[in-house]
Amino acid sequence: MNTLPGWLEAGAGESRFRTMLSPDSPYSLEQLAAASRAITMRRFGRTMTLYAPLYLSNHCPSGCTYCGFASDRNTPRRRLEPGEIRKELAAMKQLGISDILLLTGERTKAADFSYLRDAVETTAKAMQRVSVEAFPMSVDEYRALAGSGCTGITIYQETYNPLHYAELHRWGPKKNYLERLETPSRALEAGMKTVGLGVLLGLSDPVEDALMLYRHIRHLGKTWWRAGLSVSFPRLRPQNGGYEPPFPVSDRQLARMIFAFRIALPDVELVLSTRESPSFRNGMAGLGITRMSIASRTTVGGYHETETGEKGQFEIFDDRSAGAFCNALREKNIEPVFKNWEHAYNGPSNTGIDQTITSMNREC
Amino acid sequence: MDSLQLGSYTFSSRLILGTGKFSSTTVMLDAVKASGSQLVTVALRRFNREQPGDDLFSPLASIPGITLMPNTSGASTAAEAVQAARIARELSGSPFIKVEIHPNPQHLMPDPIETYEASKILAKEGFMVMPYIPADPVLAKRLEEAGCASVMPLGSAIGSGQGLATAEMLDIIIRESTIPVIVDAGIRSPSEAGLAMEMGCAAVLVNSAVAVSGNPPLMAEAFAEAVGAGRKAFRAGIMEKSGIAAATSPLTSFLGSGT
Repeated sequence: MNTLPGWLEAGAGESRFRTMLSPDSPYSLEQLAAASRAITMRRFGRTMTLYAPLYLSNHCPSGCTYCGFASDRNTPRRRLEPGEIRKELAAMKQLGISDILLLTGERTKAADFSYLRDAVETTAKAMQRVSVEAFPMSVDEYRALAGSGCTGITIYQETYNPLHYAELHRWGPKKNYLERLETPSRALEAGMKTVGLGVLLGLSDPVEDALMLYRHIRHLGKTWWRAGLSVSFPRLRPQNGGYEPPFPVSDRQLARMIFAFRIALPDVELVLSTRESPSFRNGMAGLGITRMSIASRTTVGGYHETETGEKGQFEIFDDRSAGAFCNALREKNIEPVFKNWEHAYNGPSNTGIDQTITSMNREC
Repeated sequence: MDSLQLGSYTFSSRLILGTGKFSSTTVMLDAVKASGSQLVTVALRRFNREQPGDDLFSPLASIPGITLMPNTSGASTAAEAVQAARIARELSGSPFIKVEIHPNPQHLMPDPIETYEASKILAKEGFMVMPYIPADPVLAKRLEEAGCASVMPLGSAIGSGQGLATAEMLDIIIRESTIPVIVDAGIRSPSEAGLAMEMGCAAVLVNSAVAVSGNPPLMAEAFAEAVGAGRKAFRAGIMEKSGIAAATSPLTSFLGSGT
């Protein structure tokens, strides 16, 4: 492997972050929670922005040991066709969703760039905000995707530890650590508005990974000063393939990490998905997390086809309906916000909303 | 009658309320009512015609006596802000637009260049342009020349609660401006709002300090009183601080006595 970029090395100004994260930290969890809550409230108020993932395809050529969509799993492979995408979008609009994350596996013939671009175009006509969590692309491809209405990308390095990365990614395009590492920069160079980063907690030492993730965010913020940055906290849970995480992360460790990120990066959006339990999500709302997924389906076609019987990429721990989840937020005096974006802010790609896919939500 | 004049609009309240960050629409509406505000800003991105429960615009529009001032928060360029302003006018019917362009979504500092460009265009299109700007006296005058209805310099960073950290620059802006100067952002407590009014601001815009307080309607009322008190003090004329003291040993005895 080539040498790692200089910005991944320990830098000035991170000692407090490291101290907050450390298992023998002098800061108690309660102290960090109080500071994190105060910052969150001041900067983001008593609101939670909501989004939902839409799985377009589970085809994948990569052999990631931890993933339910790895090419050696016997999961039935499928991609959504344009008509099915429209049905999924209509079903999601019924839930009130207007902020969508489109997902695929690594690049395959079945789900390649042009397939993804077409899906973005369709989705951008139905939803206010579209971002993608797919395969690493070139600057030109990202530019074309932004032109089709995509506002941002999410890409997790999974682990920043190069040795563990090499072991976990057994074959396929995802083996290329450095290409993945530079992907957020390529997306921002191409004019994407937002980038979401994360590590898959459980794969490697969580404190070391959190530090590298922090450096990555700081590097991107300095280099791409217009970028909207977010950090997600995906944690490995039991999934298709029965993978046992080598570095399991407890609820308390995860909470400490979220608080530390909020305190060290007060303006960065922090994201928590339905991988986590209802009690953990309820508890963390207002304490640092500002964006949550809602009513998620992690199977291809999961919104408009009920009970497909397929296994998703990971198991959903919080399977509450949109309405039940919103009520839980309201009980904590937090307002669920479905629309927190406007098409006009998509720049030249703005094409307006396709009324044939819209429908009035009644649930929330 | 002392009132805030913006174009042909007259407001007896000099407190402008922001509507984001509240724990619920109901609490927000209660705070707006308690504040006595007649001019309220709402982000275009929080207009949601498809989902009434998620919409901030319609419930605000139904309060009698309120003029809505949509804002372009979320825009990162002049072109985006101009497009957002046109959509907002079409949806709300309000001629007011708070131009808010912050290309860095982390610290949300306004972009002076894009804000100037957008304001120039929108003023020509007949909008009542209310630009949110850094506390820069030169930019404030340029926006005045461009036809803005007011300027809205920041007291300190949005949501920071650092109060009037830019007081020195605000003082110059107020002194030189011929259009209303409205302090926007950074105000944490009613006393800071009162201080801004004592300095001669025409109005104050507050959001976070009300939205995240333990009792938003009560806090809104407190802000209204402080803004009113500060305005009265400004009109009455505030006593000079004693800054002139005689030296214990006379310095001018060599001048002798007489005239």
